[in-house]
Amino acid sequence: MAPTAVRNSIRKLRFEHGEMTQAELAERIGVTRQTIVAIEKEKYSPSLEAAFRIAEVFGEPLENVFRYESDKR
Amino acid sequence: MDMTFREKSAWGLLVGIGLVSIFYFPAAFDIADSVPHGAPLIAISIVGVVALVVIEAIYHACIAIPHGHEAGEEDERDQLIDLKAERISSYALGVGLFWLVGQIIASHSSERLEPMSALTIGVWILFALTASEIAKLIAQIVYYRRDA
Repeated sequence: MAPTAVRNSIRKLRFEHGEMTQAELAERIGVTRQTIVAIEKEKYSPSLEAAFRIAEVFGEPLENVFRYESDKR
Repeated sequence: MDMTFREKSAWGLLVGIGLVSIFYFPAAFDIADSVPHGAPLIAISIVGVVALVVIEAIYHACIAIPHGHEAGEEDERDQLIDLKAERISSYALGVGLFWLVGQIIASHSSERLEPMSALTIGVWILFALTASEIAKLIAQIVYYRRDA
């Protein structure tokens, strides 16, 4: 899948939440660790539901975790 | 390489189907062209299916151990990759079957070509199905690797 226009702050948020591992985040939102890797690298845009679950894990509103950059193609 | 259970499964199926196909299809076409009845073809088909099932069962049992409960589960990215790969596979199957229909029509309308037997047509259909499955597995692996 091509790089997406959806940017995210998951790496930073994991660091701020006690260096949460990708595996732990994956377990909590119900996806594989490789999917978290793809989301972090902005190669895969998660579904709306997964995005909300990620934001919920970090206790942040969705816009603090994901943002859309329309000029990135 | 860092791979999910499903990606490892796709690699295993690709290698397994590829290996069995290399031995099965030359023998099957040979039999279909030279033997008037289907018994030998059924016999080598059973051997091919059993060989594939045994190879895949052993391989999947081995790769399932380190993945634990993740084995057999698929998440949204797996589903998306599956759908994209299925689309490519269906194009490959469509092209293969369209080509086969053309060959059947040509072989029955030309005096220079020998009409295709039912057995040969059956083996070609199986070949098209196998090729489309291989196309699907390659597409899955490419999508997984591009994300990695």
